[in-house]
Amino acid sequence: MDQTRARLLRCFAAVFPGLSETALVSASLGQVEGWDSVATITLLSLVEEEFGVEFQPEDLERQTSFARILDHLATRGHA
Amino acid sequence: MKLIEALEILRAAPKGDTPSCNFFLASGFTPLHLASFLAAELQQRLPAQSVRMHTGPFGDLAARLEALETGGLAGVAVAMEWPDLDPRFGARRLGGRSGDPVELLESSQASLARLEKRLAGIAEALPVAISLPSLPLLPLSTVPGWQASTLELGLHSLLAAFAERVAQAGARVVSAERLAQLSPSTQRADLQSELLAAFPYTRPHASRLASLLAQNLVPPAPLKGLITDLDGALWSGLLGEDGVAGVAWDLDHHAQRHGLYQQLLRSLADSGVLIAAATKNEAGLVAEALGRGDLLLPADRLYPVQAHWGPKSASVTRILAAWNVGSDSVAFVDDSAMERAEVAAAHPGLLCLGFPERDDASLLAFLDRLRDLFGKPRVLEEDRLRRESLRSARVVREAAADSPAAPDLFLEQAEAHLELSFASDPGDARALELVNKTNQFNLNGQRVSESAWRAALARPGAFLLRASYQDKYGPLGRIAVLAGCRDEAGVQVEAFVLSCRAFSRRIEHRCLERLFAHFDVPEIAFDFAPTPRNGPLRDFLAELLGRAPESPTRLRREDFAARCPPLYQSVRET
Repeated sequence: MDQTRARLLRCFAAVFPGLSETALVSASLGQVEGWDSVATITLLSLVEEEFGVEFQPEDLERQTSFARILDHLATRGHA
Repeated sequence: MKLIEALEILRAAPKGDTPSCNFFLASGFTPLHLASFLAAELQQRLPAQSVRMHTGPFGDLAARLEALETGGLAGVAVAMEWPDLDPRFGARRLGGRSGDPVELLESSQASLARLEKRLAGIAEALPVAISLPSLPLLPLSTVPGWQASTLELGLHSLLAAFAERVAQAGARVVSAERLAQLSPSTQRADLQSELLAAFPYTRPHASRLASLLAQNLVPPAPLKGLITDLDGALWSGLLGEDGVAGVAWDLDHHAQRHGLYQQLLRSLADSGVLIAAATKNEAGLVAEALGRGDLLLPADRLYPVQAHWGPKSASVTRILAAWNVGSDSVAFVDDSAMERAEVAAAHPGLLCLGFPERDDASLLAFLDRLRDLFGKPRVLEEDRLRRESLRSARVVREAAADSPAAPDLFLEQAEAHLELSFASDPGDARALELVNKTNQFNLNGQRVSESAWRAALARPGAFLLRASYQDKYGPLGRIAVLAGCRDEAGVQVEAFVLSCRAFSRRIEHRCLERLFAHFDVPEIAFDFAPTPRNGPLRDFLAELLGRAPESPTRLRREDFAARCPPLYQSVRET
């Protein structure tokens, strides 16, 4: 899980470069400035690329925080 | 490049006081990852600057370009797709499609005419890179997919004509062939992304397209010279064993690959690339072989030819001296790994390439690579003069060396003539090329982008002095450029370059003499900065100053007049 978390942190840091690690771990849509629809698409694209998973259109509305994406990855075998 | 790599490149880009370099990406779709990839590709090519990628609202591409303010931009990239010709070609628009190909073609033609007009205008002022539609057309036709429809054929015909016209206007069109090599057509479209986010490309395709757009906007500096082996490279066979008639480069002797190599070398030579030969052979035999009338690379395109039994590294040393260029601007081609290793050890900066003698598939990749290493967006008149002027430069050097007591006599009898122009022409590609490729006689080694060059020359008080030279040994073309600004502080020279082919003729002295006269000032300031290779410029300033130049430095007119040697060129100022 620590490795998955570190890899996910790298994705978040690439999209939100100004945030500290603590802020990234607790980041969520609506709470982070600059997290808009473009940032969501970019973020999910990075996660797809990094973990080899595919998101569906409905995931755009579901994957709205670091914690949720981490949980989603766990269900896809990235525990 | 992966998307995360692109974002991390941008995150690590220089910030703060670093000069920014602004580009615009125009597309009818949301640029999304294409913008990130393109910015990262450009950032890698411009490490000393901070690249900023601007994009506009997506939708009507032609309208976006018509509204574009180009001031402050270093370049414009345009990623076209089929809906830019007619929105009915897009997957995001419904509402019924006309089945009339004639009407769709007419509409596409009108859109392309609008784009062409605007792009030609932008290309006059800025580098413009254009990618033509790279995604498959939606299935619109009633003919089966294995048959090209009249609509498809008509669209491709319109696009080809459009691309040719915008290229003639100065825009750079991404090679569809190269894109096809890098990005297979079946792996380009992402319909889910297009429907969801109006971004129609897969990430790999966006990355590869961005790379080609960036190469067109900021092309790498082409190499200047190629040194080729003869046996096993320029021809098949060993001259010493097979004899002059025994070496071959044709189909009959299963040696066609050598003929293809010769053909490419001839094209490169005719575009101004210096080609020399280094071979371990008897000089007389080589001269005889190079005299064969069926050689596709005529012997006069080879200069110089080094044929002896000594190490090839020594040949390379002599060739570089004859060309007066650094090893990092040159490639060496030899089929022998041992020879390449020997040359590479002696010339670490030299690019050593193996000639793929037995592998036809590798040959095409090899020829493609040569084209990339030496190709340039356009060929100038000076490129055509380069080889002959190097020969004459050698004559000048040798003649001067033969009469060290009387160099003035030699220069006096050279019948030299200089054409000087103070007319500012920011679009003169040769002037910018000289600034960006000259290493030795270069005031400060600074490389300048096309847009920065244009902006600098557009400032109030900016000046540009260009010099063309010829003497009884032949024309050299435009070989010197001096640029700067005159304001209340005086005359400031910011760029001063002289082609190495034009050394030893006191052209640099004449340029300064005319600059003092033109502005009638008692002193000129120079943005001099030492570089590892600009010793000739440093020595020139030291000779006039009577001391080593500071950085920056100032030269008084009275010192120049006292120390300037006699000048013999006739001068015409235009």
